[in-house]
Amino acid sequence: MNLALKDARYHLFKFTSSTLGVSLLLMVVFTLGGIIRGVILDSSTVTSATGADLWVVQKGWLGPFVEISRLPEDYYHAIQSMHGVAEASPLVMAWDHVEHPMKPAGLMLFMYRNARIGTQTMVEPHWIDMTRELRFLLIGYSPDHLGGPPMIVAGRDIEASHFELVADTKTGLQIGEIVRLRGFDYTVVGLTKNMVGFNADPVIYARLEDAQNIIFEPDPDLLRNIRRRRGGQIGGAEAVAPRLVEPIARISSAVSENLHMINAIAVKVEPGVSVEEVADEISHWKHLEVYTAARQVNMQLMGANRLILMQLSLFRLLLLIIAGVIIGLITYTFTLDKIKDIAVLKLLGTQTRRIYSMIIQQAVLMGLLGTLLGAMLEFASEPYFPRRVSATLGDMGQMLVIITVISILASLVAVRRAMQVDPRIVLGT
Amino acid sequence: MERAIETKKLVMTYGKGRAKVEALKGIDLAVNKGELLAIMGPSGSGKTTLLMILGLVTVPTEGQLILAGDNIYNGSPRDFQKLRREKIGFIFQFSNLIPFLTAEENIVLPMDLVGVTPEKAHARATELLDYLEVTGRARELPERLSGGEKQRVAIARALANSPAMILADEPTASLDTDRGLSVMRLLRKVSTEKGTAILVVTHDERMIGEVDRVLLLVDGAVVSDESQEQSQSEAPKAGPKMVTDNREKPNESAVPVGEKNE
Repeated sequence: MNLALKDARYHLFKFTSSTLGVSLLLMVVFTLGGIIRGVILDSSTVTSATGADLWVVQKGWLGPFVEISRLPEDYYHAIQSMHGVAEASPLVMAWDHVEHPMKPAGLMLFMYRNARIGTQTMVEPHWIDMTRELRFLLIGYSPDHLGGPPMIVAGRDIEASHFELVADTKTGLQIGEIVRLRGFDYTVVGLTKNMVGFNADPVIYARLEDAQNIIFEPDPDLLRNIRRRRGGQIGGAEAVAPRLVEPIARISSAVSENLHMINAIAVKVEPGVSVEEVADEISHWKHLEVYTAARQVNMQLMGANRLILMQLSLFRLLLLIIAGVIIGLITYTFTLDKIKDIAVLKLLGTQTRRIYSMIIQQAVLMGLLGTLLGAMLEFASEPYFPRRVSATLGDMGQMLVIITVISILASLVAVRRAMQVDPRIVLGT
Repeated sequence: MERAIETKKLVMTYGKGRAKVEALKGIDLAVNKGELLAIMGPSGSGKTTLLMILGLVTVPTEGQLILAGDNIYNGSPRDFQKLRREKIGFIFQFSNLIPFLTAEENIVLPMDLVGVTPEKAHARATELLDYLEVTGRARELPERLSGGEKQRVAIARALANSPAMILADEPTASLDTDRGLSVMRLLRKVSTEKGTAILVVTHDERMIGEVDRVLLLVDGAVVSDESQEQSQSEAPKAGPKMVTDNREKPNESAVPVGEKNE
């Protein structure tokens, strides 16, 4: 006869409402875990999806997604020819934006309003206004090389040599939509899902040449101005210092040469070849810095996201402790309500361990049911969060173990109270 | 007649020095199997203390307790919980059925505690419910039973493991006269038919007619221990003195010497 289950069934409303309260709290714990995993995935998605073993950037710079380095485009040919390298792909990447006022509806609108209400005493007017710009991470890649969109969920891959884009669904862009970048119109032809940079800005893919134009080409007005000034300087130099004509002309032409720059080279090592050996070989190059894929993710994750990760983890720990305290308090009040019954049980000769087991079982049952319900609520609510939230069944399994331990510890106070119950209280009354 | 329980020179002292209170002063008591004994006395006379010692809830300061031929305080320390499970049945004033168990489950519980199989426990519970004429209420929770039905179920629970002795603490105090008499007649029936010794602590003089013997305690000492036959034959001159209706309260603040902690 399981006394814990019988008692829970008898006090069904009290037990289920308490369990529901615990489950809502645990849902928040789960969600925080999901947010933490989301931050980790966001920090590694692009790097992992590229499939590169090594990332090569300008000497003295951190990886391409942490600091924007610049390399001459033709460097990748030299790396491609190295022993043990299966593929070396030139990539350009940079954060950019377009004027694309959001038109949030439904839940997103609610979130904006909530953010405004929740912060209005903390910020200056208009700080929390709806954004007018769409920020994104632009990645330029060469077809049939590493670094392109890994999976198209709608539309198609880029086929034309110019003016086509593949955007992530988080940009809010639709297939066929025209995006004007640096004076040219680009058409969105395909969509990806969950391709974001480490700061959760969505990724837009373009052909390498298009991306170079967007990222490296100076503003046309600025270009005209520079050329006009250089022309004037050359004219003046011809008259007074002919030896300066050639250097000034070289500087002037460098403006257009800048277009053949890249930010990084993604390197895939041949099967069976040591990644470290190839990295060591590249590191001897005077102008190049090389990072393994793991080091690259580490820089992204523990660079910009280090503090937020620690903050979220700490908050999750606090919530777990609070959940434990609440389970303990609920179990304690349940036990207080049963003091007389416990006294009768003791008088009837019920084994001490059986009475304590009844209390602990109820706490564990509440914790486990709360965990399962909390996990279900979290899974159901994940799609409605503005940033990626990604809790897993593994998290749930881990939480079941943790909550079991916490529930047992939390019920010890109630067990202690039950130990103090004197069976004589039901006699002579 | 075979002895169900016997006490020799039971002494119970609370406190020390000037605060010392002698709750029981050398109680000698013998109850046979099948005997129904009423323990009466005014408030503070030691009834509840005696009940607690007999129920193995409190250890006396001095004296012996022999339960079903077993000298409890002799030899190695005893497992009082086990003895209570197997040899003693309890009936309380307010029945004190476990509220989250049905009537049948309340009866099954003591058997479950001693490891009787569910099938056998169910059969025994059904038999007892039938014996106490509450068969139709087997699936009901205590809150849906009347006061009399609750006490019948409580009696069935006390009988579940066929104990050597049943201790009943004011079993009729919360019932009206008819229901109280009905419960006492049931206890009479149980003691006669099952051969169980039943000790009833009561203030209710209306119930005395149903018992075999009346033990009168005053200030921790037995002042009268008479069978009904003796009482009736000596009715004009003696008979158990009726006591006041004040309920005796255990001295909860005092710590009995040698008390077993559970």
